[in-house]
Amino acid sequence: MKINTYQFGEVEFTEDKIINFKNGLFGFEELKNYLFIKPDDSFFYWLNSIENPGIAFPLFGVRAIEDQFPQEENFEAFAIVTLNSNPLNITLNLKAPVYINQNDKLGIQKIVDTDKYPVHYNLFSE
Amino acid sequence: MLVLTRKVNEEIKIGSDITIKILSIADNHIKIGINAPKDIQIYRNEVFEKVKESTLEASRASTQKAADLLKYKIHKVE
Repeated sequence: MKINTYQFGEVEFTEDKIINFKNGLFGFEELKNYLFIKPDDSFFYWLNSIENPGIAFPLFGVRAIEDQFPQEENFEAFAIVTLNSNPLNITLNLKAPVYINQNDKLGIQKIVDTDKYPVHYNLFSE
Repeated sequence: MLVLTRKVNEEIKIGSDITIKILSIADNHIKIGINAPKDIQIYRNEVFEKVKESTLEASRASTQKAADLLKYKIHKVE
């Protein structure tokens, strides 16, 4: 299978690389299937929609910045990244993490109900 | 919208496995208890709207290029 992505151009993949989000992502409930891309030379992982390849989300592994973050068994926690040309303005959404199980190819987005984790968390400082 | 009147300690059932109970009422605050299966996600609506907006924003910003990320420190949660 092939999709045309903004970040990586044309990407060819096999069905076993597709992560299924039964409930989609908040605001994108109709998009259920994403390609999970781990570029070698990038800070971020990517979720690229298969149904609408123009929609893509950079992700950041939450474990790198917070070891207390709420876990889901067999899933890895990622935060959706809001990119910005100024790295100091790049933020993570820690309030609504995306959990991915790469073995079972499942994804789920949850809301963490605590004030500790904001919707806009600055990833970088000087 | 279906409108029901309930007293403290009375319940509402949604389907066979969701129960909503009015726990207490004080001034402008109503405390509600919800029993639902574990896979049903329950949120305060204003949080949900904020999260949705942020996801839309992240999607729009996904084509932005940020250079020299390695020059910056990663900010850890304290």
